[in-house]
Amino acid sequence: MSFLRWRATLLLLVCTLLLAACGATNSQPAASAEKTKVIIFVGFGTGTDPDQVSAQEALAKKFNDSHDNITVEFMIVPHDQATERYLAMVAGDNAPQLVGPLGVSTVAQFFDQWEDVTPYIEKDGYDLSDFYGPSVTLNKYPTLNAGLPLGLYPSFLFYNKDAFDAAGLPYPTHDYNDKTWDITALENVATQLTLDANGNTATSADFDATNIKQWGYADTWTDFRGQMTMFGAPNKGRPASADYKTAQVNSAEWKYGAKWLHSGVHEKHFMPDAAGQGAIDSASGDPFGGGHVAMWYSHTWYMSEGLNGLPFKFDIAPLFYNQKGERIARVHADLFTMPKNAKNKDAAWEVMKWLVAPEQIIDVCAVYGCLPARKSVEELFKAKLKERFPTIDHGVIFQSIEYLDDPNHESYVPDWSKVNDALNNTLTTIYTEPSADTDALLDTTNQDVQTIFDDYWAKNP
Amino acid sequence: MARVSRSLAWREAAAGYFFIVPWIIGFVVFTFGPMIASLYYSFTEYNIITPPKWVGLANYARVFSGVPEFLLTGDVRQLKDPIFWKSLQVTLYFAALSLPLNLLCSFSLAILLNQKIFGLRIWRTIYFLPSIISGVAVTLLWLRILNPRMGILNPFLRDVLGIANPPGWLQDPNWAIPALVLMGLWGVGGSMIIYLAGLQGIPTDLYDAAHVDGANRWQTFWSVTFPMMTPVLFYNLVLGLIGTFQYFTEVYVATGGSGGPQRATMFYNLYLYQNAFNYFEMGYASTMAWILFVIVLLLTTLIFRSSEAWVYYEGQLRGK
Repeated sequence: MSFLRWRATLLLLVCTLLLAACGATNSQPAASAEKTKVIIFVGFGTGTDPDQVSAQEALAKKFNDSHDNITVEFMIVPHDQATERYLAMVAGDNAPQLVGPLGVSTVAQFFDQWEDVTPYIEKDGYDLSDFYGPSVTLNKYPTLNAGLPLGLYPSFLFYNKDAFDAAGLPYPTHDYNDKTWDITALENVATQLTLDANGNTATSADFDATNIKQWGYADTWTDFRGQMTMFGAPNKGRPASADYKTAQVNSAEWKYGAKWLHSGVHEKHFMPDAAGQGAIDSASGDPFGGGHVAMWYSHTWYMSEGLNGLPFKFDIAPLFYNQKGERIARVHADLFTMPKNAKNKDAAWEVMKWLVAPEQIIDVCAVYGCLPARKSVEELFKAKLKERFPTIDHGVIFQSIEYLDDPNHESYVPDWSKVNDALNNTLTTIYTEPSADTDALLDTTNQDVQTIFDDYWAKNP
Repeated sequence: MARVSRSLAWREAAAGYFFIVPWIIGFVVFTFGPMIASLYYSFTEYNIITPPKWVGLANYARVFSGVPEFLLTGDVRQLKDPIFWKSLQVTLYFAALSLPLNLLCSFSLAILLNQKIFGLRIWRTIYFLPSIISGVAVTLLWLRILNPRMGILNPFLRDVLGIANPPGWLQDPNWAIPALVLMGLWGVGGSMIIYLAGLQGIPTDLYDAAHVDGANRWQTFWSVTFPMMTPVLFYNLVLGLIGTFQYFTEVYVATGGSGGPQRATMFYNLYLYQNAFNYFEMGYASTMAWILFVIVLLLTTLIFRSSEAWVYYEGQLRGK
């Protein structure tokens, strides 16, 4: 009897499960099964922090709730696994529909992997006039337009007001038209702000260069192209001619820049050498926030990670004019791209447009810390910035866009990574070798880069 | 009777195969398969995303092209890929410094910790402990120790030993490899334990006989301990050699994957990794992997051949 009861119960359970399963299927709206899925691959740049993950999930929900035909899913991959995972997906014919946010350098490294969005822009008659002009050109490469602009990261000087007060020096000007704020003025101020362990400045005869506690100026969170772009070579931050066939590393401007950098590090000591940078990294990881550097040249992305709870007063100022009387301020930019061999590209294009639409762009940029690339939301964004960073001069940020480097220091060159490694090898020599002949070094590097270009064009005529 | 015995043997063999099947599957799928695939890729141009393109011996030619001209002129620019040769030179230099030093330190330490001293177990634990800490953590720790401005080593060298200009270690191209060798000594506890086990396996009657024969400590060491330890030395030498040619994690962490300063730490495996995952030249990286395989095979064979002259196995007769 009990056996029968057991069998009846089991039968009932199976029937219940079957009904529940059928019921669940039937309860789904018919349209949802036909929704096109758009996977957004996140991991090459910012976007993987826990608060960013939840913010992206909220963005996906917002999109999915308002669209019947497309569903969006953010695929978050740890930064150190991003390249391998992405390549595996592409090689397995399972490319994500969108990838981002990507900086100019990542777009350049995977240059031939991206779909050209020009036909989509033309088909839709998509209006690009609301974007800051340079943000559109930054996404353009010799043969394609890699995506719609999302955000910009202009650059400027962060300065430690307490360090200036202690040295009795006036703060750097915030006036972009003040031509007295040039490379010589920067050098003078920076030397006076450089202190050894005994409090001697770098101008003092008693200064101990082996025991520096505060450097006047640093621009260390960038590569060689990033450091040279401000010196105003015709090719700005690109180590190649316009046709990408000739190396242009040893221009007079880059040679000047390399010499200035070398002298600032090893002779005048107002910039940290390799050992100093290592010491800063070990001590705090953040040259400006750790109080090791009085003036720090960086980008807006530093604000969200570096300006929280600092134990000193700070503000921002324009980058100085270079030796030619020009101001060239680096810029970074983010966008979403569409892999060439992704499926559902039309749906991906719709999502790409949605992400940079005026209604969303501030929210999306808030997740990634960029300055929205649309002019129409500038005032709204300024208000948000003021709320978060009430003590800094926000005008400095937006005016910097007018001076950005084009060709950009992260822009495409053939065999981007090889060229960058060759250039950064030169940079480490400048930082580590007090007796380096920088002119000869750049001539040699120019030959190395030319060899890389020649090999590339021999393989890809 | 013979049939029963054969059947039993077959069943035993079948059981043996059954138990090793998981390993064989793992070996074929995860080791042998990829090895064969990489051999094929070494003859292709392959960027991972698009299908590989057969290029014959072009990748191998890239490695060796310009070598005769370089040997004649000494001009590095004659080499098609000078960084390949630089990486090989760096690896060999590291091996030449690191291998003997590691063997010597771990062997000496094992001998010291084989004495009857107070707190022996604690000492053994202390020396063994660092070897179980991960390479990344150890490297980060040593980056701080070796920093010329804020590390603790240089003030010690300057203030205690009176060295006026201590090295720049990882910031100095001439000292970067010695710095990594120094870092490597941190982990000698692993091989020390193996030596220690070997030392404790030496029959005491050999020492008794030496004592009766009037041998002093040095003679006992040289005539008893050392010969009896040569199999362990041989084992550690082979593993150490393979380990130095696979050196990667520490240098990747210490230099951020750049192999700097001035490519002074561009190890073979680091350059291989750069080709595979930074430059997306998987074909060339596979070529490098096979060249490395051949180099390690040759060196290991050489060590095995030489072992006949210096490794002593108890109970084995010379020439047999």
